[in-house]
Amino acid sequence: MELRGIRTCFGSACIHEGLDLSVRRGEILALVGASGSGKSVLLREMILLRRPTAGQVRLFGEEAPAIDGPTANRLRRRIGIMFQHGALFNALTVLENISVPLKEQTSLSAPVIRDIAMLKLVLAGLPTDAAYKYPEQLSGGMHKRAALARALAMDPDLLVLDEPGTGLDPVGADALDELIRDLHGSLGLTVAMTTHDLDTLWRVPHRVAFLAERRILATGTMDELTRSDDPRLAAFFQGPRARAARSGTWSRA
Amino acid sequence: MSPPHPKLQTQAPGDGGPVVPARVLWSADRRTLSIDGSWTTAALARLGPTPAELNQSTEAVILDGSGLTGLDTAGALLVHRLVQRLRGQGREVQLAGFDARRLALLDLVAERLAVEAEALGQQGPPPRPTGLERLGRLVVEGGREGFALLSFCGEVCLAFAQSLLHPARFRWRYVLSVLEHDGVRSIPVLGMLSFLLGVVIAYQAGVQFRVYGGNLYVVDLVGITVLRELGPLMTAIVVAGRSGSAYTAQIGTMQVTEEVDALRSIGVSPLDLLVLPKILGLVIALPLLTVFADVAAVGGGMAMSALMLDVSPEVFIRRFPEAVSINSLLTGVAKAPVFAAAIATVGCYQGFQVRGGADSVGRHTTASVVRALVLVIALDAAFSVAYSWLGI
Repeated sequence: MELRGIRTCFGSACIHEGLDLSVRRGEILALVGASGSGKSVLLREMILLRRPTAGQVRLFGEEAPAIDGPTANRLRRRIGIMFQHGALFNALTVLENISVPLKEQTSLSAPVIRDIAMLKLVLAGLPTDAAYKYPEQLSGGMHKRAALARALAMDPDLLVLDEPGTGLDPVGADALDELIRDLHGSLGLTVAMTTHDLDTLWRVPHRVAFLAERRILATGTMDELTRSDDPRLAAFFQGPRARAARSGTWSRA
Repeated sequence: MSPPHPKLQTQAPGDGGPVVPARVLWSADRRTLSIDGSWTTAALARLGPTPAELNQSTEAVILDGSGLTGLDTAGALLVHRLVQRLRGQGREVQLAGFDARRLALLDLVAERLAVEAEALGQQGPPPRPTGLERLGRLVVEGGREGFALLSFCGEVCLAFAQSLLHPARFRWRYVLSVLEHDGVRSIPVLGMLSFLLGVVIAYQAGVQFRVYGGNLYVVDLVGITVLRELGPLMTAIVVAGRSGSAYTAQIGTMQVTEEVDALRSIGVSPLDLLVLPKILGLVIALPLLTVFADVAAVGGGMAMSALMLDVSPEVFIRRFPEAVSINSLLTGVAKAPVFAAAIATVGCYQGFQVRGGADSVGRHTTASVVRALVLVIALDAAFSVAYSWLGI
């Protein structure tokens, strides 16, 4: 997945200007940046829900077309998205939620769909009795897992996670990090995610892209970014919270 | 042997290269079941039936995966189910030709499914209730709701009584806002509907009266039906649709976003802030609106009488006090505060019943309007019976 020369403007306020970013096959890339730096907007442009004001989006080696065309729909099917607040359909049970993409996009029979959906449910680490619950009956962590299960329903080539750990307690966030790593390892997924969580940053992604001043300021492993003496990166990666997160990883390793 | 699928060479949706559909091939002499093609979610849809000969024997087979061009979790699930079925027939199954990553994927799926199967033994989807059970639930549910509404009424009365002791703490400003939003702003639509109502009544009555030459009696009919019955009823219906639903939606949304809980935590009683001003405001507004609706409807009747029955407005107005006693007006207007209390109470009660998400708000808003209308009409019937007993 590649973004070239992206420019995004809301009226006269531009939040991206000449932004380049690429996600390689099979890697986990995390997008970080201050609140309001346009991470979520960039993510929405990646998954063809929003058209940048200018610039080029390439997905799976194909030029991304107009966002409402049939080609965009075809490309979108290969992407699994977990929205920031889950965006589960409240009127459907968890199992039905996971089945929606399978029902809409394949011609598999109902029992097979049920079987696959149930597998995704357990893959996402949900207990089976959650299958017949409605989203409102789930805790925050289970809600996120259910959203992840739905994102995985079609076995997507690219998994996009918008703030997966937000709103979870440390134990829940840790478990979700672990789950993302596990799934990446066993399913060979390509993952693009945004996050604020420094613990997550140390443990999950292969590469981290730092978004500031309307473009990607730096890309690299956490080690590289932390060692950088650029003051803008230092503020983010070498603050007290960052140091604590890092030492945490080391003591755990 | 399953025949090759006609769509063999087509491209699967959502993939760049050509996708070979998933197939199962049985070679009897080698005792090998080969699976080939792309066992991925998109391609699986065209998976043909498994060879029938397999069902006739119980000897060991080799499952050969060397022809696989793709395998994802859904594919792995089906492979796993296939192996399960073969083993279920009492034969040994040996896997061959799978590379390490695919084996790992199969293991992962098998392991997770074992967890699932263990848990699933104890429960399936909740069973659908039978007719009798549903009826029973409906009755219990109805009874419980009636009781809950009654206790809500009790709470509201208690809160009112407490406000009487501390009138300074009552939220008078909210009452004014209710008067504006639910009173003043409903005047245009109420006026129009009532005027048309008067036109319809006068027209229907006029057709009959003209036959007997009793044109003037249209004044009696319009005046009495409108003032006693239709004016208050029309007003209550409009207000139930306009304001009762809005109360439910407002309180329901606040319930969803936890604003109601926030109020409680700050020490503000949601009843004091959200319910009492609405009830009081509507109890004040509805009688006024009823009088307005009466005037508009009688005006409509008057216009129609002039056009169709040759009863000029002058004659109409002169006849009116002779035909209609002040009692008709008072009995009509007296109903309005009761209707108002019913509409506001039901609307607020339904709002507090909202649980969960947006769809619940919608459901309860509908319920609020329906229940309010049912209640208003039932109350109207009760008033009729009571008035006839009292001989008014």
